[in-house]
Amino acid sequence: MSQRESTTDRIVMRDIRKRYGMVDALRGVTLRLGPGEVVGLVGDNAAGKSTLMKILAGAVVPDSGEILVDGAPATYTSPREAHELGIEMVYQDLALCDDIDVAGNLFLGREPRTAGGLMLDERAMHAQAREHLDALRIRIPLTDLPVRALSGGQRQAVAIARAVTFGPRVLIMDEPTAALAVSEVRTVLELIRTVARRGVSVILITHRLQDLFEVCDRLCVMYEGTLRADLDAHTTSLEALVEEIVGRGHAA
Amino acid sequence: MNTPVTTEPAGNERLVVTRQARLTAKLTTHVQTVAVGGVLLVLLLVFAFSADQFLTVNNVLNLLRQIAPTMIVAVAMTFVITSGGIDLSVGSTVALSGSLLAIAIAAGWDPTLALVAVVLLGAAIGFVNGWFSAYHGIPAFIVTLAMLSIIRGTALRATEGYSTPIPRDTWVVTLGQGRLFGIPVPAILALVIAVAGWFVFAKTPFGRYVVGMGSNAESLRRSGVAVRKVGLSVFVLTSTAAAVAGVLVATRLASGSANAGVMFELEVITAVVLGGTSLFGGRGSIVGTVLGALVLGVIANGLVLLHVSPFYIQILQGAILLLAIFLNQKIFSRFATRT
Ligand SMILES: Nc1ncnc2c1ncn2[C@@H]1O[C@H](COP(=O)(O)OP(=O)(O)OP(=O)(O)O)[C@@H](O)[C@H]1O
Ligand SMILES: [Mg+2]
Repeated sequence: MSQRESTTDRIVMRDIRKRYGMVDALRGVTLRLGPGEVVGLVGDNAAGKSTLMKILAGAVVPDSGEILVDGAPATYTSPREAHELGIEMVYQDLALCDDIDVAGNLFLGREPRTAGGLMLDERAMHAQAREHLDALRIRIPLTDLPVRALSGGQRQAVAIARAVTFGPRVLIMDEPTAALAVSEVRTVLELIRTVARRGVSVILITHRLQDLFEVCDRLCVMYEGTLRADLDAHTTSLEALVEEIVGRGHAA
Repeated sequence: MNTPVTTEPAGNERLVVTRQARLTAKLTTHVQTVAVGGVLLVLLLVFAFSADQFLTVNNVLNLLRQIAPTMIVAVAMTFVITSGGIDLSVGSTVALSGSLLAIAIAAGWDPTLALVAVVLLGAAIGFVNGWFSAYHGIPAFIVTLAMLSIIRGTALRATEGYSTPIPRDTWVVTLGQGRLFGIPVPAILALVIAVAGWFVFAKTPFGRYVVGMGSNAESLRRSGVAVRKVGLSVFVLTSTAAAVAGVLVATRLASGSANAGVMFELEVITAVVLGGTSLFGGRGSIVGTVLGALVLGVIANGLVLLHVSPFYIQILQGAILLLAIFLNQKIFSRFATRT
């Protein structure tokens, strides 16, 4: 019902399919996302959540299906092109370069430059990194430490900061809180609310169902490569959501 | 794009940045470079006292002239190894470029044209290496091992196994034999390339991406960097550097030979690993590489002065490589993983 497309949709993914050898990871998934909307994407392990979102972020190319951004068909085949459309993602596996420092990871691929684009502007990079981390209340004392020296939670915070820093219009977070302490989880949820109020569309994947009810407008349930349900987060109960995820009441 | 997103009035929870924490971080990342610098110093002292002629101006300049080709290729190899690759074909490329330079000049080519042609051929070899490994995911080890054989064979076929003299009155001979302000031209060239290499490695986005590639190539790709182009470029660097090294070797001897540069790849890789660059990628140091090359040059030179059989030098070089990798993995990596 709420998958009905409207002209104001920021993102529409239509009939997305993806196979990995013998594995049918996505079997025709359709998903829409409005401006400023927060959608929770849930489902069992291997349901296809990460694959679907990697496709939206340009990191994986689908076998078939189409993506509309602001109503216009988008045919991107790389993360760079997705970035240019304002789509950013926090990956489940974080995808940081351990040997590069915190500031370098934040700005990887988009480094401030000097000397006509020839040189890295390290000074600007560290100053801006400091500013962004402080604003996000991420406690990392040194921006010139290699990321491998950080704790798991700090690394996750860096990955989140990287996605938020470049002013996304669509922010995808694939289990962003898995390694975070309670107070940091609160900060991330608060961050999601803040950016959504500014009109950023957010997709949140998490197995912490209680978090979803705090920030989400809609809850989309995936099951074995399909989108099984699209629920209103304000009217759905936790029990009903769990039933949808585990698949009771559905013919398998 | 650069207005920071604030979540709520931020209490200043930022920890105090101590000078010491930063210093430790810096020191530990460079611990192996410092170590190889220490080794170089010790070697210099040992040979200075044990071999009379070691610290003469002539000998030092001679040493620099001899180690220049290794240093030039090792600087380029630092990029390849840091990106997570390896290039075993550089020794063969040295032989091919030197041979073809001599053959072309003997055939009446303009020496400048011949020089440009062999350097471009070097770049083309790098293109082939990079095309297979970066664009088609074939391990660089196998690609460049195959190329080692192909290029060496081509050099042998082109020369029929004979060495071709380069007339001493052609200007290119000054590249190997000449001096500028009393300093051998190869040493000057090596210095210039080392400084340029350091600059690109440490100060430019390309250098940053080379590190990123060796560290986590998928992360780099997801950050929107054209990873395959970076992966191809590093092989163009090594092969071009190897062609230049081949020119230096051939012009120093005033003769192009298909037997030049045998085991050269081993010497180059030893210099790089000795300098602290990780064979697994992600960690590299141009300064370390330069020091590593100097250590190898000093050992080879010093042992010759002490009349040690040259066969031992080869044994020693292999032993140094093994030891360097061992230390790199067992000891120095421990410094780098946690600060
Ligand atoms: N690169 C890949 N190569 C092969 N198979 C893959 C690849 N990526 C995903 N798959 C397969 O696709 C299916 C969906 O995986 P996906 O990571 O999207 O699941 P998920 O819903 O994110 O699960 P989780 O909750 O565990 O993160 C799985 O069966 C997985 O094995
Ligand atoms: Mg997943």
